[in-house]
Amino acid sequence: MSGKEFFVNRYRKLGWEFKPLKLRQAMRINTCNAKEAEVTRRLESRGVELEPISFVQHGYWICKSPFSVGATAEYLLGYYSIQEAAAQIPAALFTGLEDKMVLDACAAPGGKTVQLADLMHNTGVIFALDIEKRRLTALANHLERCHIENTIAYLMDARSVSHLKIKFDRILLDVPCSGNFATDKQWFQRRTIEDVQRNAELQRQILTEAVRTLRDDGEIVYSTCSLEPEENELNIDWATKHLNVQAEPIVCYGETASTEILGKQLSSSIANCKRIWPTQTQGFFVCKLKKRVDP
Amino acid sequence: MELDETLIVKKRGRYFLLNPELKKLISEDFFYAGAYLGKERRGVFFPSFVLLAMIAERKESNKIIVDDKTEWLFIVGRDVFKRGILQVVGSRRKNAHALVMNKRGECLGFGRILHNLEEGEVKPKVAVKNVSDVGDFLRRERTIEH
Repeated sequence: MSGKEFFVNRYRKLGWEFKPLKLRQAMRINTCNAKEAEVTRRLESRGVELEPISFVQHGYWICKSPFSVGATAEYLLGYYSIQEAAAQIPAALFTGLEDKMVLDACAAPGGKTVQLADLMHNTGVIFALDIEKRRLTALANHLERCHIENTIAYLMDARSVSHLKIKFDRILLDVPCSGNFATDKQWFQRRTIEDVQRNAELQRQILTEAVRTLRDDGEIVYSTCSLEPEENELNIDWATKHLNVQAEPIVCYGETASTEILGKQLSSSIANCKRIWPTQTQGFFVCKLKKRVDP
Repeated sequence: MELDETLIVKKRGRYFLLNPELKKLISEDFFYAGAYLGKERRGVFFPSFVLLAMIAERKESNKIIVDDKTEWLFIVGRDVFKRGILQVVGSRRKNAHALVMNKRGECLGFGRILHNLEEGEVKPKVAVKNVSDVGDFLRRERTIEH
């Protein structure tokens, strides 16, 4: 089962009418490296038009620029990162990150890792994993460019993280997923429902391993850039039933996730998750999980 | 961070400066850790931009401060012309290495002085050879993409 018509019909059943869109470019200031007002002033003095993103801190839409904003001295000095707006949401959902032991289980190319380190003010420790060396090299470059000092990166499958024998306070699971048509023009030609199901199975394996390494009072933020419920609401529903975790209320941009998906009734806590349909951002799904505490 | 030798680790010719917490946790098979200091290749050490920024904080380091146009040319890999130099701090001697800084005190990389930069002397146009500049991050991105 594949093709544009198949998926567009699916989205209609999920409550969204497909429309083509043009993504807006976005950036995020690394506030540990530079003062936000100074960075925006410097860019604006050279003709860059910026607009604060209403739903993330330190994030800006790049409305117009006479040059590539990924090639400025300020970018090269690590003062900001080019980061899609929805992608700036997950790291910001953690509470009390400073001095914590943090896992970024599927870290490369490192945009969210750098954001985590910035939120931590370079304190604590981040373990950043990725399974592909080329992508891990990109992560290392990103860490170096942004002067991150609190991160250890490993070439490692997220499903093996318990080998580190560490219990984490915070775990970011920005898991490998099927992506969405907003970022891939060929998406409808490339993807099938079987791909989605394969990714969903992988994500469940990563979730299972992550929960094993989470401290009892720890937090997991799970996110995908997929629109497919198998990778989102259905996986989280599975996790609440099999991994003894619950979805916590979160306050962020996006619609409340539905507890009824394609005829299946899900746990009421799925309503604590957020789904973002593509408009000015790419499609996204995000939620926070904590271990269930016995009364 | 201070350059404490006990907190420096080496992996495949690359050097990393850790803090005490990372030092306790790190295992041998890490890929990258802490602050990357640079790499050694065939007996020559290539400092990272993190290390260069640390050196720039030291008063005794050689610095060449350049104007805005030269700043841009330098970070796209060009050498430094004498006319683009606003100030020289420290050594002006031929073959000395110096950090290349912009007017805001930001370290853009480093170069090798090609001619004595004594004031008043008439010099050929190119004064400092670009050895390493922060534009390298973009070149690396393109290499990874391909």
